Amino acid sequence: MFSNLMHELDVRGLPPPEPFENIIKTLTTLPAGAVLKVHIHREPFPLYEILLDGGYTWQTTRLKDGNFLIRISHTP
Amino acid sequence: MKVISLSTEQAPLISIPLRFFITAPLFLLLAGIILVSGTGNPFASIHTPALLAATHCITLGFMSMIMLGATHQILPVVVGRPMPISWLTAWLTFIPLALGALLLSAGLMLSKPVWLNLAWPLLGLAFITFISASLMSLAQAPARNHTKTAILLSILALAGTIALGMLLAHGHANGFLLPYAKLATAHIGLSLGGWIMLLIVGVSYQVVPMFQITPNYPEWLGIFLAPALFIVLLLSLLPLMPNSEQHRVTIFAQTLFWFLASSFAVTTLILQSKRRRRVADATLSFFRLGMVSLICAAMFGLAPLFFPDIDHLAMLSAVLFLLGFAMSLMHGMLYKIVPFLVWFHLFRCGVKISVPNMKEIIAEKWMWRHLWLHCSTLIAAIFSLWWDMAVWLVSLGLLLQSIILGYSLVTAILLYKHILKRIEVI
Repeated sequence: MFSNLMHELDVRGLPPPEPFENIIKTLTTLPAGAVLKVHIHREPFPLYEILLDGGYTWQTTRLKDGNFLIRISHTP
Repeated sequence: MKVISLSTEQAPLISIPLRFFITAPLFLLLAGIILVSGTGNPFASIHTPALLAATHCITLGFMSMIMLGATHQILPVVVGRPMPISWLTAWLTFIPLALGALLLSAGLMLSKPVWLNLAWPLLGLAFITFISASLMSLAQAPARNHTKTAILLSILALAGTIALGMLLAHGHANGFLLPYAKLATAHIGLSLGGWIMLLIVGVSYQVVPMFQITPNYPEWLGIFLAPALFIVLLLSLLPLMPNSEQHRVTIFAQTLFWFLASSFAVTTLILQSKRRRRVADATLSFFRLGMVSLICAAMFGLAPLFFPDIDHLAMLSAVLFLLGFAMSLMHGMLYKIVPFLVWFHLFRCGVKISVPNMKEIIAEKWMWRHLWLHCSTLIAAIFSLWWDMAVWLVSLGLLLQSIILGYSLVTAILLYKHILKRIEVI
């Protein structure tokens, strides 16, 4: 039922600033109520400030393999 | 799995790191001038005033200037916590560091005790402010990674370096009776092997995999290397104890240090050989030159243990470590960090169309020219141990390097200001 509200993006292994650019580009087309799951190889601390400015909320999870999973959505 | 919560408002103003970076090349220029201002070959002995002054110009005015500026930027990006009151911390470190480095170099070169007595409190203020602010930031940081450990140990080594440096400058200026040779050895060991080496190790854990698209450093290396280097440095301080005869401990500590340093260099070169994008890159070449120089510095650092009669081996090791390893990595990191900062701060302004590609911010051809010039300066510095005239080539090399680096950084700053103005008009 909610499958169309879950979007995934894999930016593992891309050099800076490509992960950044891809995430922001994808967010501009993210529908209201949808969640973007980002797979990334390092924790993108500078991204968080931009997400806050842009009205997004996020939750970061460190995975066992050393990568990170970030769930980003519009702030309700 | 672990859920992480973070504070925001992390990125410091771009003017903070850039202020440190743009000042650093001026001290490279000054070091070049100082080297040819003394009498005779400054590389003849570690105690010649010209070499002492030029070395402090490079380690304080150039390297520490870059390292302090970079730490302002790195802490929020890598451990998720900026320096407290970052604009004030920056001014309280930048101004006394710049003035202190100038006065110390001039005081050492011209043997002016008054200038030394002005220099050491200024440098003390700069570094105590920096150390306190960094420790506060690290204590509050949410991230747990090997870079954080390496930066923490590097800052502790810096505290020891500065305490000994202030004591040496104060004692030298006022004619106190101190064990200068032992104190100077410990000061140099903590400075090069602790502050510089550990910070480079910590930053490389992030910069090499991130910008050079290599696999991560092995987990075991991340866990053990920085603490092991720090313990070895503590061991090397044992001769400072009163009535101490710790010759064997010193030899053991030196051997272990060079073994650990070489392991880091070899691992980095192996990781770089496995990088995913195999395109020529000047910053990667700066890193490779740095790692090869570190291996050579280790070989010549250990050689006096086996060949005590050969001259200049320890000096050769110091030149390779300082100019070949540390300076190469500083150049390589600056050419990555500055374009990224300019790009990031323009991107934050929100007008994405106007933001140039990171590669357009500093022209790569200037990075390559700088790399070849830096290689030539290093070769000249090695020859200058035996051939007096090569000192002029070292001086010229440092002078031209300062011009190229300064020009590249000014270009990046002007581009940033130009685009920012266009964004404001929109």
